[in-house]
Amino acid sequence: MQSAKDNMADRELIFSRLLDAPVTLVWKIWTNQKHIALWWGPDGFTNTIIKMDVKPGGEWHLIMHGPNGKDYEIKSVFREIVKHKKIVYEQLNHFKYIATIQFESRDDKTHLHWQMLFESRESLAQAAKSYGVIDGFKQNAERLIDYLSQQKQ
Amino acid sequence: MEARRDVFQAIADPTRRAIIGLVVKKPLTLNAVAEKFDMSRQAVSLHVKILTECGLIVIKRQGRERYCETKLDSLNEVSKWIEQYKQHWEDRLDSMEKYLYKVKRAQNNAKRKR
Repeated sequence: MQSAKDNMADRELIFSRLLDAPVTLVWKIWTNQKHIALWWGPDGFTNTIIKMDVKPGGEWHLIMHGPNGKDYEIKSVFREIVKHKKIVYEQLNHFKYIATIQFESRDDKTHLHWQMLFESRESLAQAAKSYGVIDGFKQNAERLIDYLSQQKQ
Repeated sequence: MEARRDVFQAIADPTRRAIIGLVVKKPLTLNAVAEKFDMSRQAVSLHVKILTECGLIVIKRQGRERYCETKLDSLNEVSKWIEQYKQHWEDRLDSMEKYLYKVKRAQNNAKRKR
């Protein structure tokens, strides 16, 4: 099992925040489509939520409208929902990843732990590249994958 | 249509991944690389050629031999690139946090009015 875990480290992104709001409110802005439409996505994007069925197996279908006038259709499915504790969803198109968001109530605050797990280091790099394109980062033919450094260890 | 030559094409193929895996440990001659694979030398050469075109491998001449080496100077760039993506998600969390406090303030104000 240890090796499986080691193997995850190079293909996951982890974020954590202590939020000054009760877990009920954090949960609400995450699971209510009226709310999530207003904050999801990179700066300058707006969202249209087509469907958001917050239950295991439920579809989450949205369109992100980019500042450059381009639309990005995102399809995901919820894998696990534990009210006020945990959301697991899997993005199915563009590039696949599984996000696990854990909510931990600490008095009137909420600790959020957010993990994004990609299929491989390459697909994480692919995702990074796609976003680079969306955000208009400099395209670079020499852009490389961390594959080499991974092999070196 | 011009063939796409970037790192994603380079590593899309399992043989090319294996070649990178070999020469990253130490530089090898083309022959030494070819010996490791159950395919013709020409086929291996073609993969090496693609890898050089993608900028992942350089061929260095030493005497009569030609050695394949990985180009390590590009590595830092990749980490930066993934770092940038990570920052992108941090921004998204910032956006969530900002929105959260806005809703919280609105709720508190509504309570006070009641």
